[in-house]
Parts: sequence; C-alpha cells; structure tokens
Amino acid sequence: MPYPTDPLILSGAWASVILTLMVYSYVLYKENLAYRFTEHTYISTSLAISVVVASQTLTNNAFLPLSKGDISYVIPIILGLLLFTLPFRQVRWISRYPLAFVVGVGTGLAMRGAVHAQMVAQVLTAITLPKAPQPIDWFNFFFSLIAFLTSTSYFIFTREHTGFMAIPTKIGRYMIMLALGSYFGNTILFRMAMLSGRVEEILKVFGIIPWR
Amino acid sequence: MSKSIWSKITEVDRRVLYWVMFIALAIPFISPLGMPVPVTEMTKAVYDKVESLGPKNIALFSIAGGVSAWPEIAPSMVAVMRHLVKKEVKIVVWGFFTDQDITLDMITSNVPELKTKYKYGEDWVYMGYLAGGETAVAALASDVHSVFKADKYGTPVEKLPLIQRVKSAKDIDLVLTVDTGSYILYYVRHWNVGKGTPVAEIGIAMQADMVVYYPTNLVGLMIGVRGGAEYEKLIGRLGDGTVRMDAINISHLLFIIAIALANVGYIATRRKK
Amino acid sequence: MMFEYFFAVKEIAALSSAIQKWAIIISTFALGLGIITTFRIHIAHVKRRSKGQWFFSAWLMGFFVLLTLIGLWNTKFIVYDWTFKNVYVALSTTLYAITGFYIFTAAYRAFRARSIEATILIVSGVLILLRNAPIGEAIWSGFPTLGEWVLMKGQVGGMRTLTFVAAVGLVVFGIRTLLGMERGYYGGE
Repeated sequence: MPYPTDPLILSGAWASVILTLMVYSYVLYKENLAYRFTEHTYISTSLAISVVVASQTLTNNAFLPLSKGDISYVIPIILGLLLFTLPFRQVRWISRYPLAFVVGVGTGLAMRGAVHAQMVAQVLTAITLPKAPQPIDWFNFFFSLIAFLTSTSYFIFTREHTGFMAIPTKIGRYMIMLALGSYFGNTILFRMAMLSGRVEEILKVFGIIPWR
Repeated sequence: MSKSIWSKITEVDRRVLYWVMFIALAIPFISPLGMPVPVTEMTKAVYDKVESLGPKNIALFSIAGGVSAWPEIAPSMVAVMRHLVKKEVKIVVWGFFTDQDITLDMITSNVPELKTKYKYGEDWVYMGYLAGGETAVAALASDVHSVFKADKYGTPVEKLPLIQRVKSAKDIDLVLTVDTGSYILYYVRHWNVGKGTPVAEIGIAMQADMVVYYPTNLVGLMIGVRGGAEYEKLIGRLGDGTVRMDAINISHLLFIIAIALANVGYIATRRKK
Repeated sequence: MMFEYFFAVKEIAALSSAIQKWAIIISTFALGLGIITTFRIHIAHVKRRSKGQWFFSAWLMGFFVLLTLIGLWNTKFIVYDWTFKNVYVALSTTLYAITGFYIFTAAYRAFRARSIEATILIVSGVLILLRNAPIGEAIWSGFPTLGEWVLMKGQVGGMRTLTFVAAVGLVVFGIRTLLGMERGYYGGE
C-alpha cells in the first residue's frame, strides 16, 4: 500500500505518532509537560466516549421501551439517577440503595456461577482419568493432581506448615511458582506485542517501513 | 572502592534499558526475520470449531476488550471474522467496552465482506454496548430480548430477523469472546455451564491462565498475538499478527539475555562478597 | 438470583430477568459518576490556580465538554470521528503499552534466582517465552515442547488452585455481603 496522501488520514497518522512520542518522552527521557498534556487529553477523551456511549445505550434500552409504554423502566431509571448523589456527602446515603441493588444482583450471580464452574468443575477435571492413556498422560494426570492438592493445601489449610504439613505445602509453593512463572512469561508476550504495535506505527508514519 | 563490571551492568540506568528495548523492537520491522509460526493445539481447536459451522449457524462475537489492547488482539479478531465470513456463519455482535464502536469499525474496514457480502439485520447484527459486567452476560444468557430492545443504531429488535432468532444462549452455536479481563469467566459460568453453549476465547496473552477450563468448558483459546499469527496461517491469509511475531522473537530473546545477564551478575557479585 | 438457579419456577425466572435488566440500566448510569468526581477535582485545581496543573485541568474539562456535545449530536461528525480514531486510539494503546518498558527493567533488576521458588519462577517464565516466540524452536526444537507442556499441563495444577481459591473467597465474601457484614462497597466500615 502506498504512503497515504489523503489529508485526513495523514493528519490522523501524524497526530497519533506525535502523541505516542509525547507519551514515551516520559519513559525515554523524564516527566515533562508534553506527557502531562497527553495524560489529560486521554482522560477527557475516554470520559467523553463513556458519556456518549452510555447515553446511546440508555436511549435504546431504557428510554425507548419506556416511551413505548413499558413503565416498569421508571424504577431502574430513578435508581440510576439516585446514584449521582454518591459524590455529595450530605445526600450520599441515598446512593446506597441503587448500589446495594447492583451489588446484590452481581453477588448472587457470581456466587451461583463460581461454585460450579470454578470449584466443582475444576475438582472434577482434576480427578478425571485420562481417556486414552499413554505413559505421558498418566504422568501429566498425576503431576496436575499433586500440584492441585499440594498448592490448595498451602492456601486453604490453616494448620501451621510444619511436621507432616511441611513437605506438601512446600511442594505446593513450588507449583504455584511454576504457575506464576508461566503467567509472567505470558505477560511479557502481551506487553511486547503492545509495544511492538506502537513501534510499528511510528516506523510506518516516518516512512521507514512500508505502509500496510 | 571501584565497582566490578557486574555491578555496573546490573545497575545500568533504566533509560538505557528502555532505549535498548525500543530499538530492538524496531529492527525486525525494518529487516524481517520471517520465521514460521507453528500452530498450537488450542488455536487449532478454535479454528476447527469455526470450520465446522455454516450458513445455518449463529456465532456470537462478543467484544470485551478495549482499543488499548488492539496490538495484541486485533490480528486474532480480524482473522476469526474473516473465517466466519468465509463460512457464511451468521454473526451477532455486542460488547461491554465503551470504545467498541471503533473496534468494530476497524474489523469492518479489514473485513469489508461484512458490509458488501453480508446483509445487515439478516446475516449480521450489531447490538451495541452493555454495562453491568457479569449481570449483563448472565441476563443475556437467559433472555436476550429483555436486555436489548434495539440495536446500536436504534432499530427495534422486531425489525431485525437475525436477532429474532436469538432469544437466549441456547440459540447461539458458538460464543467467541474477545477478552482482556473477566468476561470469559462470565461466559463460562452462565453460557457454558449454565446453558451448554460452546465458548471460545480470543484473549490477550495474560488470559492463558484460562487453560484450566480447556477443554471441559472452553472449545479453545487463542493466546495473544501468537494466537492471531497461528490463525492467520490456518486461514491462509497472513497479516499483522505474523508481521508482529518477528518483533516478539527479538524482544523475547532480549528478555532471556537480560534475565541471564542479571542472574550471572547476581551470582558473580554474591561470590565476591 | 440463587433461587432462580436452583428452582425452575417461571415467575421467579421472570422476576430475576427483570431485576438483572434493571441492574444493567443502573450500571450504565454509573458511567457518569466518574465525570462528577473528575470535574470536582479539576474545578478545584482551576479555582486554586494550582501551579503547573490548572491549565491542564482547564484543558481536560474544556475538551471533554466539546467532544461530548459533538458526540451527543452526531458521532459521525468529522471532529469526533477523527479524534477518536487518531487521538483516543493512539493514547489508549500507547499508555497501555508503556508498561512494556517497566516489565523489561523488572525482569532485568528483580528476577534473580535467590531461592528455589525464584528459580522455578524464572525457569517456567523462560520456557513460556521460548514457547511463545518461534525463535525458541530455532534455538532448540525441545523448547516449544517443554514450553507447551508447562502451559498446558505443568502450570494447570497451580492455576487451578488459584481459580478454586478465588471462588472460595468469592463465595465467602458474597455471603458476608448478602448478610450485611461487608459494607465497603457503599463506603461503610
């Protein structure tokens, strides 16, 4: 793809790169006004998009059905408006009602879902024997099971990690480190992919690499 | 007392490290390595599931990731959408991030068939944004029409034939959730465990801990830009994911060198003491 | 919510569905709360003429008001569309990516094999790095296999524990919240 000549695309691309360099000036040099400017610009744009999208969503999914005669929507609209008393100390107590409503619903849903998916299903998967077992499958099965049991013993059991508890909890700690090390490795992939995306953009706009 | 070389190496100014990383990431874009990307089991599983779908099936494309994660997940999103369109699967799109409109714009500009080949309302539909996190996902699993009264553009659901067919999770043949956080867990809890709907994740690399749900609750899991590169190879159309893997190669090598250097320095300085 | 999950009663299911719908609408209003708090802070800065800050605060509020008004009028208008596709996307991805630098210095400075646990963490992390980057296979064909094993089998036990324990914590916290013993969510002690 050739380097764009459309003023709108070009101005956007250059604005994007200049803002990127302004942000990275903080990291690659030191804190400065340019970085502070981009910080505040980001906050204002993300707040603006939140307001616009929220108003569109409320229009489509609350005010539209209300305008069609479904008066039950009055209740959540009023409760939602009551939320705006939260920042004001004298009337903050009013916001507890909509908050309690939302937290109650969320808690009920989370609890009912978590028990099966995160507890029962995980235990069942851990103790389910491999289907067409090769020696490596048996090794993996026992490794995962022992890792699960020992690391759970480290977290859950309140008895002091001495005596007969010393070895399983130590193994459990090692298994957790294995898992956290894996998480760290994946975090690096994530961060590097993000950074490489911006570096690619900078090179593209400066014309060092072809525009794709 | 003058510092040893190892002390100097381990105490180098962080800005030097930042510049080293910045330059190292730039090099592979200027001079690509072109290393092949092997396909892994979980990405293949997602591909096979999408490949098994057809024009009679409906897939849900849930955008639960923001614009900020584009470099990681955009290649995967575009590749999967291309595959869905190639298989002529019907697509319902909704999401939970306020900037998802921009994400969908990006996808449609890379997959123009959504606008040229697909008919809006019949072949695909965009329902818009929903707040509420797990509550929203759970509510949609039971009754989509009680939550969405109109699509993103204000068209009432009665006028959208595709969404008329989707009343609950049971009417969806595959959930593809583009995820940077907890929404995959919500879909597993309420759509898969609750209603039996197959769920697959297009996630950032940090979502790899979701592997505990594979294959019992998850069809498959695409991990970050690597998953995107693998999927591009599977659909036979290389893109941003493959290009970015070169930078990943160099950066990861740099990390390994840094960790090795730091540990050699640590051992050397510890021995001296 | 709990009753509806365990008992298939039509009326309860309908009520549950309505309550969930209401919670979604209330949550949508919550998006506006952040604006009030932000404005309170930045108006205070402008009033006080806080050194080195007040003009940024004024810019933040002014730009927000301008964009919001344009967006509420027409999201396809050129100023709004251009700002979000170029300014918001750039800043969003850049600010999120900045942590890439920090993780590099963290790996360089903090990842020392001081103990067995630290060594396991580093080895596991490095194997995953060599699995994720195709260069691992170029160095030695065994690295991707080992890395894949760590990802698919090795770490699963530990991760499963973290998942299980998180669920236990969620249930305990949920019961405490429903019994009124946890009041942090509305600012109580």
